[in-house]
Parts: sequence; C-alpha cells; structure tokens
Amino acid sequence: MSGNQIHSASFRDPSGFLFKRDGILYRQVNQTYRSHYDLLMGSGLYEQLVKKGALVSHQETDIAPLDPDAGYKVLQPEVIPFISYPYEWSFSMLKDAALLTLEICNLSLQKGMVLKDASAYNIQFLEGKPVLIDTLSFERYDEGTPWVAYRQFCQHFLAPLALMALTDIRLGQLLRVHIDGIPLDLANELLPGKVRWNLGLGTHITLHAQAQQKYAKADSHKDDRKKVFSKNALFGLLDSLKNTVKSLQWKPAGTEWANYYEITNYSGSAFEEKKAVIRKFLDIAQPDSVWDLGANNGVFSRLASEKGIFTVAADIDPAAVESDYQNIQSENAKNLLPLLLDLTNPSAASGWNNEERDSFAGRGPAGLVMALALVHHLAISNNVPLDRVAASFAAMGQWLIIEFVPKQDSQVQKLLSSRLDIFDNYTTEGFEESFQRYYHIQEKAAVAESDRILYLMKVRR
Amino acid sequence: MHIKLIPLLYLDPGSGSMILQIVIAAALGGAYAVKVYWKKIKRLFRGKGADEEVDGTAVLTEDQQQENDVR
Repeated sequence: MSGNQIHSASFRDPSGFLFKRDGILYRQVNQTYRSHYDLLMGSGLYEQLVKKGALVSHQETDIAPLDPDAGYKVLQPEVIPFISYPYEWSFSMLKDAALLTLEICNLSLQKGMVLKDASAYNIQFLEGKPVLIDTLSFERYDEGTPWVAYRQFCQHFLAPLALMALTDIRLGQLLRVHIDGIPLDLANELLPGKVRWNLGLGTHITLHAQAQQKYAKADSHKDDRKKVFSKNALFGLLDSLKNTVKSLQWKPAGTEWANYYEITNYSGSAFEEKKAVIRKFLDIAQPDSVWDLGANNGVFSRLASEKGIFTVAADIDPAAVESDYQNIQSENAKNLLPLLLDLTNPSAASGWNNEERDSFAGRGPAGLVMALALVHHLAISNNVPLDRVAASFAAMGQWLIIEFVPKQDSQVQKLLSSRLDIFDNYTTEGFEESFQRYYHIQEKAAVAESDRILYLMKVRR
Repeated sequence: MHIKLIPLLYLDPGSGSMILQIVIAAALGGAYAVKVYWKKIKRLFRGKGADEEVDGTAVLTEDQQQENDVR
C-alpha cells in the first residue's frame, strides 16, 4: 500500500477521514457513519445540495479502504484548487460561508437530517462561491435535541463577524490564534456593551457566554427539565442566527487602499499598456496557476483568471480583498480566489502538530508568482534585503512577473519621506543582480509614463 | 425526560450552549411560527395558496426563503 497518506487535519470525526493515494484525494466513510451516509444519499439531500453548489460532489469508488476494518465506502471528492482558511477571508466571504452553513442545515432539516458540526474550516471557495466540503457533516435528525453545532457556529462565524463589523475589522485575525473559533466570553468582552440590547447578538453571544460560564460543570444528559427542543424551535434558531448574521455589515470606507487605482498617477493608456505587457508575459509562461501577491482588488489578477488560469489574489488590506470578492460576485468571475494575507507574516502552519492548517507557502508551489508594485513595500517598508525577497518568491513558483519600482517613483519617495534612506542596493542594477541569483530574466519592459520596469523571470534549475 | 443527545456526537456541544437553547426554545419556536403563519396569511391574500407542511411542522419553502432573503 505505497503512496497512502492520511490527511493531517482529518482526525477529529470518527465518521471517516481523508487520505491521499498516489496523489489522488479520497474520503473513507466508516461503517459507524453508514446509516447517516445512506440517508444523505437516499433522501435526495445530497443531490439537492450539489445541484445548488452548496456541497462538493463526489464519486463512489471501488478502491480498497485505507482502514478496511472500519471502512464502508471510499469516495473521490471534487478537488478544491486552493484550500483557504477563515482568517484569510474578507468579511463578506466569512459572512457568506456562515449563511451557507445555516442554509444547508435548514435544507437538511427538511429532509430529516441536521449538521452535526458548523466548522468554518469545512467551507471552501470554489469559483467565487462558498461550498461545504465535508460530506460527513450530516446526521439523522433526532427531534427533541438542541443543535449540537450551535456553540461551534457562534465561535467560528458569529463572534468573528460581530467583532469585525462592530469593533474592528482586524479582529478577524483572532481566528488565527483560536483555531476552534473565538471564545464567546472573549468576544463578549471585546464587543461594544450595547450588543446585549440587540436581540440576536445579545442572545447568541452575551447570554450564550453567560450560560457557558454558569453551566460549565453541568451535565446536560442529567438535566431533568421536562422541555425538549422542538423541530420548530430548531428552525427558529437557524432563522434567528440567519437574521443576526445578515444584520452585520462592514463597509470598507476610508482605508488605505480602497481607492488606490483612482489616486495613482497612471493614465488610462499607461494602465492598458501595463496590462498588455502582463498578458504577453502570461502567454509566454503558460502557468497552470498564479499567485498574485499584493493584488489589491485583483485588477491584474483578472488578466490571468480570465485566461482560465486559477489565480489567488492575495492582499494585506481587508478592504481590497473585500472589494475583490464583491466584484467577483457581481461579475460572476471564475478561477479567482481573493485572500487576505500579510506577506511579511504569512499564514503559518498551525493546529495539532503544526499540521492541521497549512502555511501559505506550504500550499504551493504556484506556476507563476506575480508581484506588481510590491517590492518597495517589502524592501523599504519592511527592510527585507532584495535577495531574500527573490529567494522567497523563487520558492513559491517557477515563474515570476515582477515590477521594479525605483527610488525616484513617487510611491517610494512617500515611503522614504519619514525615514533614513539606508537602501543603497535599491537600484535597478541591485535589483537585477539580487534576482539573477535565483532567476533568469526572460523579458523586460518599461512601464509607460513611469520609471518602473516589468520583468518576466524563470527560476534557475 | 432527559435532553436527548445523539450517541454519535464527536464534538463537545457544551452544556451551557445546549441548556441555553432549551431555555429559549419556546421563544424561538413561537417567533418562527408567527413568521410562518404571517407569511401564510399574506400569501392567502395574494392568492398563492397555502404553505407546505413537512411532518406537521411549518417550514419555509425555498420560495419563501428567497422571498425572505430579498427583503
């Protein structure tokens, strides 16, 4: 059984697990989950959800289970081109993921099933839309039972959304630290005091946090209350959570980058010319995937995605990523994944054994890395030596499209205006010399109406 | 009667989270029922006919959900 590898994040749920065999991803369904799986498939729920694009599709295969004693079936799920995590999503991405989770639970309930977990990590983005990737999240609904995933839903979705909308957008990053969602007592402390008067947030966060504290030691099995949780109450809970999530809004006004393309000194024709050069470089490199780093709202990422190349558009600014995602919705754009990422401190490998959530670089390599109007931020704002920038990009992908922004450029002058210029090496020659240690320069083109230069480079082998 | 928990549970649902739901169950169920029946009444006047009933429990049909979403 060579080439078998159990997925490092797939161990919590005894219903089954993911594994790779000869490079193909499979999901083993265990015997213990058999009746639930059969109900999912037999009730029409699977078909309904897949048709709506709410659940990844899968094929049942004939291959042998990895653990034959426990195994019932082996599925081959539809592949997601890039696994992203909630702390890398914009506000609306997390909000849409939350609403999808509630909608799936509602539809499941109409078919006699319920979601047994509500992990944000079970949602991924495919062609700009959220989709549930865990086929084993469903179980037979047992009337009378409260929603077992209620706490998880509030920690993974409601708390971060409320904090981002009502306190500070950057608090979404708490999800990086709290891998099972933001503890509700912490969220309650950080939220403005007025939320307790809001019916939804007051109930699902404030009261919820207090109940957790009060009943921390209670055994709910032994609770002798006469009441049970009716199906109607569960529909009501889902409806209440939906209304609460929907009421949360975040408008990215007044942030650093939101109007970047309106304030730069590009003229329309210079902008078009830059696009034409990048298109030409993409045609030469023919990459299978692109990581556009410092993508802003994805204007240049679309040059790749519109050619049918799967493209990750990563940016540090929550407003830019939000704007990118909103545009994807209105354009119905394909092959594009917006991602919130600070390149000076990219997502780390985290969770159990540092293996549950992959680092950013660990999800590569990409076919081509694109770094437009980025290098001055790394080299000057963050003091990264140019050869280290080159080494980092070279590890991420075979090809590189990079724009060098020289010192005399107004954007660089702005960065230098309040600090000592210690960057003697930051010249066109210094840049080329540093990058040529890792790359061959294949093409070079001046950007019109500026002193900037675009390069196409290929990694030295 | 005990609060029923499903034997297959693999996550700790949290005692507080389960108990809170039971405490607010009547309010949730009541509010939901009012919402569904209000929609029924509105539909009746628009002549679209009555709602579906699943297992005797009023549920919003997909149509209504979408209608809801638009608002």
